[in-house]
Amino acid sequence: MSIMSYNGSAIIAMVGKDCVAICSDLRFGVQHQTLATDFKKIFKINDECYVGLSGLGSDMQTLRQRFVFRHNLYKLREDRNMKPSTFANMVSAVLYEKRFGPYFCEPVIAGLEPDGTPYITGMDLLGAMAPASDFVVAGDNTESLFGACESFWRPDMNPEELFETISQCLLSGVNRDCLAGWGGVVTVITKDGQFTRSLKGRMD
Amino acid sequence: MKLDLSALLPDSIRPKAPIDAALDDVHLPGPTGANFPLPDVADVDSFERQVVEMVKPSHGTTTLSFIFQGGVIVAVDSRASMGPYISSQTVKKVIEINPYLLGTMAGGAADCQFWQRNLGIQCRLHELNNKERISVAGASKLLANTLFSYRGMGLSMGTMVAGWDHKGPSLYYVDSEAQRIKGERFSVGSGSVFAMGILDQGYRWDLSDEEARELGRRAIYHATFRDAMSGGTVSVYHVTKDGWVKVSGDDVGELHYHYYPAE
Amino acid sequence: MIDDAGVHVILTSIHNSPLALFCITFFTTGNFVLFLRFNYLGSTMDCLFGISGDGFVVIGADTSANQSIVRMKTGEDKICELDQYKLMGAVGDGGDRVQFTEFVKANLSLYAFRNGVPLSTHAAANYTRGELATALRKGPYNCNLLVAGIDDGQPSLYFLDYLATLHKMNCAAHGYCAMFMNSLFDKHWVPGMSVEEVMKLVDLGIAEVRARLVVAPPNFLIKIVDKDGVRVLAERKTATEN
Repeated sequence: MSIMSYNGSAIIAMVGKDCVAICSDLRFGVQHQTLATDFKKIFKINDECYVGLSGLGSDMQTLRQRFVFRHNLYKLREDRNMKPSTFANMVSAVLYEKRFGPYFCEPVIAGLEPDGTPYITGMDLLGAMAPASDFVVAGDNTESLFGACESFWRPDMNPEELFETISQCLLSGVNRDCLAGWGGVVTVITKDGQFTRSLKGRMD
Repeated sequence: MKLDLSALLPDSIRPKAPIDAALDDVHLPGPTGANFPLPDVADVDSFERQVVEMVKPSHGTTTLSFIFQGGVIVAVDSRASMGPYISSQTVKKVIEINPYLLGTMAGGAADCQFWQRNLGIQCRLHELNNKERISVAGASKLLANTLFSYRGMGLSMGTMVAGWDHKGPSLYYVDSEAQRIKGERFSVGSGSVFAMGILDQGYRWDLSDEEARELGRRAIYHATFRDAMSGGTVSVYHVTKDGWVKVSGDDVGELHYHYYPAE
Repeated sequence: MIDDAGVHVILTSIHNSPLALFCITFFTTGNFVLFLRFNYLGSTMDCLFGISGDGFVVIGADTSANQSIVRMKTGEDKICELDQYKLMGAVGDGGDRVQFTEFVKANLSLYAFRNGVPLSTHAAANYTRGELATALRKGPYNCNLLVAGIDDGQPSLYFLDYLATLHKMNCAAHGYCAMFMNSLFDKHWVPGMSVEEVMKLVDLGIAEVRARLVVAPPNFLIKIVDKDGVRVLAERKTATEN
């Protein structure tokens, strides 16, 4: 059993027209035992930037705290929010800092750049960035998530279409995964604001 | 997506798939074929071992069975997994040995299916020889004897043999170590610990038929919720003096919201 | 000789080769897997559970201290009273459990002494998580915890495992006994339960563990925290204390 699938997770980020969406499942388990079904794995950094953390639950929490801390320091110094691409570089640096004893988390970053262009990137647990122009997935069953996203994604979706697509991709992806699922949560970011909705899923 | 539940129907009422009919005409090469292709690898034996290890289904399952005044309840989930991947949500884990005998499946799917079919043959032969149905005790003993002769050879089964015979309802647990236990309630599989709690707490001998069926259903449901390797559907069978009937087959995706309606 | 182009090639090859990354990942996770396995067995035999109710939280734990196959003691208190309104149940390797709970208790007292106000349960749980997470990559504490407390009459219960994963829950349990108790909690827990109702659920859980768990501990201690503070609520014994 790999540490990356010790707690179970599934995360997707997707690009639409002038909007991005990011979602995660809600399961928190220890190996085969499900302990909670309200464990969100996407976190707000600021209005225009969210991060999703897949992998070990403990490191998810540690990293979230470190990212928020670094973001707060940046705000104090610069008096503005980090843009998603800057945030991604910071995340990469924080992860590579622990090159020889890494955090067991693969982050997914989604947001809108100041000019309104969508930005999403995935990363491995050492901080190697893999930006994408369509979608990014992470978690313990990326094959299923990739399959769903490859089939359903198309360019220039509006926020509602994007919400529907990412939701269906997450749900059909986790329906082939023992260790993730039990409902989901989706956030769609547009230049006019964000909305977050929770998804009803199979509870087995 | 709605699950296609047709694979879970009892064999007797299951529509024959067109493929089965078509197969009658297919000419398959016999086992003597000299050109039987071998995998193109240097070490065939170790490759085969790796393949077997890879395709071996993992043991995520919840099955339970108990006897009460109205007969025997058998309830199972229907998930098959390979590692963390769900390979099927509609696996039939109740094996209908004959109209009065049911077997359950936990452990190796192929082992369970093969040896319980084999048990069906032995039970039918017993009927032909003795002009009466075999008792549950006898049937489970036949299975245990078979498994005893294969002990240490890597079979993996945890099965319950449930049925109704001249003594009334009866239930046995038989596993691949050839352990055979008579009992009034058992639960087997990775989710059994979760089901056991619900079962122990709700069990009484004088449960009504409907209470007993609901207890079995509820116990499997709770196991599918807590155990990652169990899920799919909850199938409930009831064995009475007239033989077994499949009482229900509920998709857990819907059953959860039946028990806990979403706000 | 390494020129700019050469450096570039090396970098992109690491970036683009999944195999190279996989090797790195596997190599570095290797050590961790070892101590993860090593850790996990330690605390699974012990029994620890918590249930929140209407204005109170109950935490129960077994009272066995085991050494190898010998039960050295059956009257060990594994539920630490952090302050007047906080309980911390801990199970795991004997030394780690005591060291860690005493460390947390001392630091929470120090904080309250310095600042004149105690930490909230939420803050105390997060402080505890932080200490556990920091220790995880040095010399980890092998213990699983439950933190419970009352703030302005509001009860809260936090699950915290030895990997420092913190999560707020209504009911929680650790170890093998969690497997038997969790499904019972799922079926019977409802919001706003009274102490009597919660104790019935506790007894149901203990009865199930005793009936089904091969290594079931004989004695249990149950504590409560409510608006009147922390205290022992009940004991469930099948063995005489020694």
